[in-house]
Amino acid sequence: MLALQILVDGFAISALYGLGAVGFTLMFGVCGVLNLAHGGIMVIAALVGWWVAANYGVGPYGGALVGLLAGLAASFITYYAVIRPVQRSRAIPPVEEEIFILTSTLLWGIMLQVGLDYAFTDNPVTMQPLLPGVVRIAGIRVPQNEVLIAVLCWAVIGLLSLLVNRTRIGKQILAASINPRALTLLGFELSHVYLVVWTIYGVLAGLAGVLLASFLGASADNAGALTASAFTIVILGGLGSVPGSLIAAYIVGYAETLTAYLIAPTLRPIPALIILVIVIYIRPQGLLGRR
Amino acid sequence: MKAGTLWRRAAVFLLGLALLTGARAACAADNTPIKIGVIAEESALLGKSIIDGAKLAVADINAKGGVNGHQLELVVYNDHSSAADAVRAYQRAVQEDHVSAVVSTFISEVYLALEPWAARLKMPTITAAAASNLITKQVHDDYDKFKYVFEGWLPAPILAQAVCDSSKDLFVDMLHMKSAAMMSEDADWTTPLDAAQTVCLPKAGLQVVDHIRFNPDTTDFTPIFNKIEGAHPDVIITGIAHVGVQPTVQWHDQHVPIPMGGNSGQATNPEFWKTTNGAADGIITQTGAVPGVALTSRTIPVADEFIKATGKFPAFTGFTAYDDVRSLAEAMQRAGSTDPDKIVAEMEKTKMEGTLGTLAFYGRDDTYTHAMKYGKDFVLGTFMQWQDGKQVCIWPRDKCPNPMKFPDFVKTPEQHAAN
Amino acid sequence: MPKILRSPLPLVLLALVIIGGVAPIWLDAYYLGIFTVAYYFGVFAMSWDLLFGFAGEVNFGPTFLIGLGAYGAGLLNNAGWPLPLCIVGGAVIAVIGGVALAVPALRLRGPYFGLVTLVAVLLLLDFIVIFAAQTGGEIGMMVPDVLSVSTAVNYWYAFGFLVIAGAILFGLSRSALGLILQATGQDRVEAQALGFNVTKHKVAAFAISALFSGVAGAMLTFYQGTASVDQMVDLSIAVQIIIAVVFGGRRTILGGVLGSIFLVLFDELLRPIGQLNTFVVSGVALLVILFWPDGVLGYVLRPREER
Repeated sequence: MLALQILVDGFAISALYGLGAVGFTLMFGVCGVLNLAHGGIMVIAALVGWWVAANYGVGPYGGALVGLLAGLAASFITYYAVIRPVQRSRAIPPVEEEIFILTSTLLWGIMLQVGLDYAFTDNPVTMQPLLPGVVRIAGIRVPQNEVLIAVLCWAVIGLLSLLVNRTRIGKQILAASINPRALTLLGFELSHVYLVVWTIYGVLAGLAGVLLASFLGASADNAGALTASAFTIVILGGLGSVPGSLIAAYIVGYAETLTAYLIAPTLRPIPALIILVIVIYIRPQGLLGRR
Repeated sequence: MKAGTLWRRAAVFLLGLALLTGARAACAADNTPIKIGVIAEESALLGKSIIDGAKLAVADINAKGGVNGHQLELVVYNDHSSAADAVRAYQRAVQEDHVSAVVSTFISEVYLALEPWAARLKMPTITAAAASNLITKQVHDDYDKFKYVFEGWLPAPILAQAVCDSSKDLFVDMLHMKSAAMMSEDADWTTPLDAAQTVCLPKAGLQVVDHIRFNPDTTDFTPIFNKIEGAHPDVIITGIAHVGVQPTVQWHDQHVPIPMGGNSGQATNPEFWKTTNGAADGIITQTGAVPGVALTSRTIPVADEFIKATGKFPAFTGFTAYDDVRSLAEAMQRAGSTDPDKIVAEMEKTKMEGTLGTLAFYGRDDTYTHAMKYGKDFVLGTFMQWQDGKQVCIWPRDKCPNPMKFPDFVKTPEQHAAN
Repeated sequence: MPKILRSPLPLVLLALVIIGGVAPIWLDAYYLGIFTVAYYFGVFAMSWDLLFGFAGEVNFGPTFLIGLGAYGAGLLNNAGWPLPLCIVGGAVIAVIGGVALAVPALRLRGPYFGLVTLVAVLLLLDFIVIFAAQTGGEIGMMVPDVLSVSTAVNYWYAFGFLVIAGAILFGLSRSALGLILQATGQDRVEAQALGFNVTKHKVAAFAISALFSGVAGAMLTFYQGTASVDQMVDLSIAVQIIIAVVFGGRRTILGGVLGSIFLVLFDELLRPIGQLNTFVVSGVALLVILFWPDGVLGYVLRPREER
């Protein structure tokens, strides 16, 4: 009974972690950008979606849609206002571009968090469940919304995999992640590929934020923790590896759920971090990462 | 002093901040009003009510001619609920803005960080809601040093007593419950709360079958609820304030069949219904005042003022902050000065009709020195329940005979018996 | 050494030291308090720049070192040790922790070193929260002793420490160690080929960084009377340190002090605009980073020598 409970609860939360981390890792794999404003973008989607749903009577689905669009908009702003200026700056030597992107996305993330705090207060909000009510799965009471979230996460991840592997633009994305120079030499516009990736990223982060808000709730103060969580998962899975991130999301999700059930809720984050430290020492590139 | 000011301005100017300094110097020139500092987090539900409550009190006092012929002026500082920010704000309030007293934060840990500074800078300071018993313990143990510190809310062991007193009436006598699980966030104020509840709940007739303390950063409460459900308690007694929305919504979404009562700080705020999308339905919590219930002759007029000024009924911290400012102002009036030692001496003599009851503070020899006095003749606190979007008063029963109502998924022992 | 640094810089520094040293005479208590905090931040920033600007290692965990110093000293103080010994103890703990982290972590390259240091902070944070009974958890641990109750004396402690730390760190950055670190930061293979033990020098740099971070963390604890997660360990503090260095000018050591003073002072002076102060400060820092990536001091010093 307990084992089943852990299995069911861990599955949905892991799927959500996975969805949050996939965009983050794709961004690094293709564009070389570690976006530390990630949590801020997720929270924008959550808060805007909640606010519109609560004040304009558009229902949970309308709110979710608006939230997703807000995430997408935030993603584009991040790209045009923060990332591009760094990438195009002549004063920043290429070897130091990484630290500048980290620093500026961190600053941008803080601005988002404080701005959201100001606009929405730091009180957590929860979006109405997309599906209210509960179902019984093998005797375990599970909110229908949780089931829907797990299904949605996997559907979106599946669609992403189709997009990357089966479409023209997907192949360009793959090529850009492996050898951007060659892609340029073949006459493709790299910035076009980047824009597509930022679009995908915005949708993924926005959706993850909206689902998080309807499952567990979200507040401006969560932005840092959400970034850290995505970061941890992505490092564990291997920077730039989408399957790695998914596996890592499940490892982290289940490690947390197991700890919360079997040891103590307070110790929840610890085992995942210890696993992470061990993996980094033994296999610094992460589970499925390339060096 | 002229040369000093010039130097300072020159230095600050060098740092490129001339504009701000100009504005600040202009403010500093007018030193007639007596300043009171408020340190709280603006963007937190409980913090916002502290600020609003203090503002209302100042407006009311000024409308009646102020204190000793001086108008009161409020200086508000945002501490982002961080101890470090609060300490910096406190230093600024005392050393730069020269306030005469400080009303502060609802978070015990933050208030505890301010305590040594209150002692060092000799500044009468009162919290509108922090409940840790360490606050008053320091005052009790080293009175001469810490006597400037007051607690304008009930200390945690007394909150626990109120929980047990009300649980006896509400849960044991009315709903025939026999067991409870305690679920508290891991924080300074819940340590003494839990300790006292562990002792007094069984005396009230509720066996404690489970006791969970969780990290205030927790976002997923599923495992906690499942574990509690496994222990089959009749009621969950919460000790939460840092968290509130998330456990409530998850309790509702997961249809946890056990009622929740106790202390749920955020649920005292009228916005709570909206932020939880109505998941608050059925939640019971200890609070200060509830709409429509006159605890004293002042409760309803002050509540109406709140609604006029902010459009909303305040969280309990709105009432405590209002009373805190008034008690400070009356102490200054009686002392005829803003000398800190004289203010403290007069504060100790406070016996004032507040919004929640008669406000008085425990003395030097009492266990909870300088905390708010508890009891039928002083402040008793109330318990409320969210019912169909409204906060309904359910305890003390003589003032609030309203019935309790729970959402359909909640099963009380009576319903179990009926099934 | 660039010629331009030789002539005016020492004079300017001397003037700043004198102005800073006599500040308590003309500056009021409130500003002294702000500068006191800013100076400790300045030491954090300089220590970080030694690793980043010179050794080329992005350490996301400066607060791991600071936190070890602060909480180490605080726990010792709560155990009854006298204050000076606690500071020494905190520093020793920080250095041991720093070396224990650096030795294995420096085997890793590129972003992975940074990631390990980041994880170290997360772990420390979690342990502080879990052992809340001893450490005070989320919001802070009170310590029985304080450096001084006098604002001016506290200021002088901080200022004296800043000057000493600045002199040592600046000296180191211009010494053989600094040059070797700089060489390894730019081209590790060549530096190794020239016969330098790269790892040994980097560990040494890490230990020095840990020493100053730890002492500064311990002293800040005893200045405030509390060791607190959100002022000494939280990732946002690491972010502030990084911003201070990049803003002030990386690879200059002293730029970090400038950046720290800017961040702390501006944040405080903008307090009247309420919660948005952090927003404005971050925005200004972001603009500086985007448009003057060499930072303020880098901008002042470099154009004449390089461009």
